[in-house]
Amino acid sequence: MWDVFSSIPTQMDYKGQKLAEQIFQGIILVSAVIGFIYGYIIEQFGWTVYIVMAGFALSCLLTLPPWPLYRRHPLKWLHVQDSGAGDDKRQVDKKSKKHK
Amino acid sequence: MNTALSRANSLFAFSLSVMAALTFGCFITTAFKERVVPVQLHVSRVMLKNVDDFTGPRERSDLGFITFDITADLQPIFDWNVKQLFLYLSAEYSTKSNALNQVVLWDKIVLRGDQSKLSLKDMKSKYFFFDDGNGLKGNHNITLTLSWNVVPNAGILPLITGSGYASVPFPDTYETTKSY
Repeated sequence: MWDVFSSIPTQMDYKGQKLAEQIFQGIILVSAVIGFIYGYIIEQFGWTVYIVMAGFALSCLLTLPPWPLYRRHPLKWLHVQDSGAGDDKRQVDKKSKKHK
Repeated sequence: MNTALSRANSLFAFSLSVMAALTFGCFITTAFKERVVPVQLHVSRVMLKNVDDFTGPRERSDLGFITFDITADLQPIFDWNVKQLFLYLSAEYSTKSNALNQVVLWDKIVLRGDQSKLSLKDMKSKYFFFDDGNGLKGNHNITLTLSWNVVPNAGILPLITGSGYASVPFPDTYETTKSY
């Protein structure tokens, strides 16, 4: 059961992670400011809480799933090196060095 | 921030921090507010009896009955950091045995959204006005005041006494209890 969930790719690349963090901080801070002002005007602190919770829900939707926006800068890995006879030879060399 | 769970964690933590800051802001915007309003108290009837106080000193003690009117506009007290007010009417007087006696006669809870203009006529006290001796008889300076606790969303719980009081003279003789 858990394997099914962990097999879903949720990773973001590094720039995507930074962008996601900036987006959710921005949304929550903006909703906090709006909620504070609105709650102060209508004298209901409950509305401040609701507006921050709405900002929380919106930023969950925007930043929790690994949207393609956050995966535009994948890391460039080195190509897989040719492995074959040469590799074996090197290992053999090392072994023989150790034995000396 | 790599997996969805770690993003959910930091998002939740950040939201809670922001919420805590907002709550503090709610407290600080109302912390220095004056919450005293004028209160008109009027006493329409006073009766004094001398009865057995079975809870106290096992002697006959003075028991007062007061009928009163309260007029107050509590609307200025309410703001976004007030959930309810706990109003109580207290009588203060001094006797030979005690320099200061305080007795709560009546109380009322006013919730946010309730009718905040109080106009109460001919109210009877909820609680017994017992003196612990015979200090009410002939006591001409019994002061009634209305005080309230402000119950906030966040912050301190202020205890305010309204401006305005009623001074009640008690009679020099006891009302005789009639039994039929």
